[in-house]
Amino acid sequence: MVVPPPQKLGAVPHGTRVIAPITGGTFEGPRLRGRVLPAGGGDWTLLRSDGVLELDLRLTLQTDDDALIFMSSFGLRDGPPDVLAAIGRGEPVDPSRYYFRTAPRFETSAPRYAFLNRVITIASGDRRPTGPIYTIEEVL
Amino acid sequence: MTRPPLGDPDERDGGLDRRELLKAAAAPVVAGVVCVLAGSSQRAAAADPPAAEGRGSAMNSKPLMTVRILAGTPQKIGAVAHGSRIIVPVVGGDFEGPRLRGKVLPGGADWLLQRSDDVLELDLRITLQTDDHATIFMGFQGLRHGPPEVIAALGRGESVDPSAYYFRTLPRFETSAGKYAFLNRIITVGAGETRPDGAVHRIDEIL
Repeated sequence: MVVPPPQKLGAVPHGTRVIAPITGGTFEGPRLRGRVLPAGGGDWTLLRSDGVLELDLRLTLQTDDDALIFMSSFGLRDGPPDVLAAIGRGEPVDPSRYYFRTAPRFETSAPRYAFLNRVITIASGDRRPTGPIYTIEEVL
Repeated sequence: MTRPPLGDPDERDGGLDRRELLKAAAAPVVAGVVCVLAGSSQRAAAADPPAAEGRGSAMNSKPLMTVRILAGTPQKIGAVAHGSRIIVPVVGGDFEGPRLRGKVLPGGADWLLQRSDDVLELDLRITLQTDDHATIFMGFQGLRHGPPEVIAALGRGESVDPSAYYFRTLPRFETSAGKYAFLNRIITVGAGETRPDGAVHRIDEIL
């Protein structure tokens, strides 16, 4: 699949904006699994003046039984300059070397997954060269 | 200060239990390369060496502070497009944690929305003033829901054990004070308790 590269909008009033389209992926957990739909999602990232990268992700999940779930998350990525530079160069970096945490939210009309409408969740991110992996936990 | 992962039932006091919900791999560069997640284990990360090595997969947390909010007279806007809107002004309060303490300035509010699925959405904005005169903007979105009789008791202004309902928030902070700039850089989670005179939020920093 041919996919668009990150869209570098450059300096905007709140920082440096880079929009990273999401072209696919998968998800799996004890109560749901499926794929990330290949069109329409993205991460509207903003590099702030204090060096923190703000993430603003929106994507659509499709479960293996064909329910659709809107997932959005706000997050922060922060770390030593050399580590962030390595990530920027597309190198694999141990996620314990930087701070990458998000707070996903979900919307669905599928009764089987309606519990997602009612939970607060947090995630740890791992920025792989091929794309991020989020391990999401429900706050009980 | 650092506690074990909060999923540990022995570490419940003051903190929040969590369980893994799902693991999502988004592929902004090459679709389909990431990732066939191994197995169906709840700890899928264990099969994923780079993530399993450090805090990347196992999130710890530590107490940030407890915020006590005193509420004013609710402004009942009533039925609106997204549900039923009630605005609760914040008239004061205080906060205290290992690294900061002070008072809640009057002037904020919580823009509550009762949804059609009986979940109460919270949307709070307040200003904190530390005891050394720094000001911190705090906002959060949150969810509160529970059994109808419990929610009804809260509505009547009764004291209810907070373990009887779900009340969780995601506080965010903004400050220009160098001493407190760490607040600009962290994700936090709050456990709320509705009180007759307002609310108390115990906030943990996600490490």
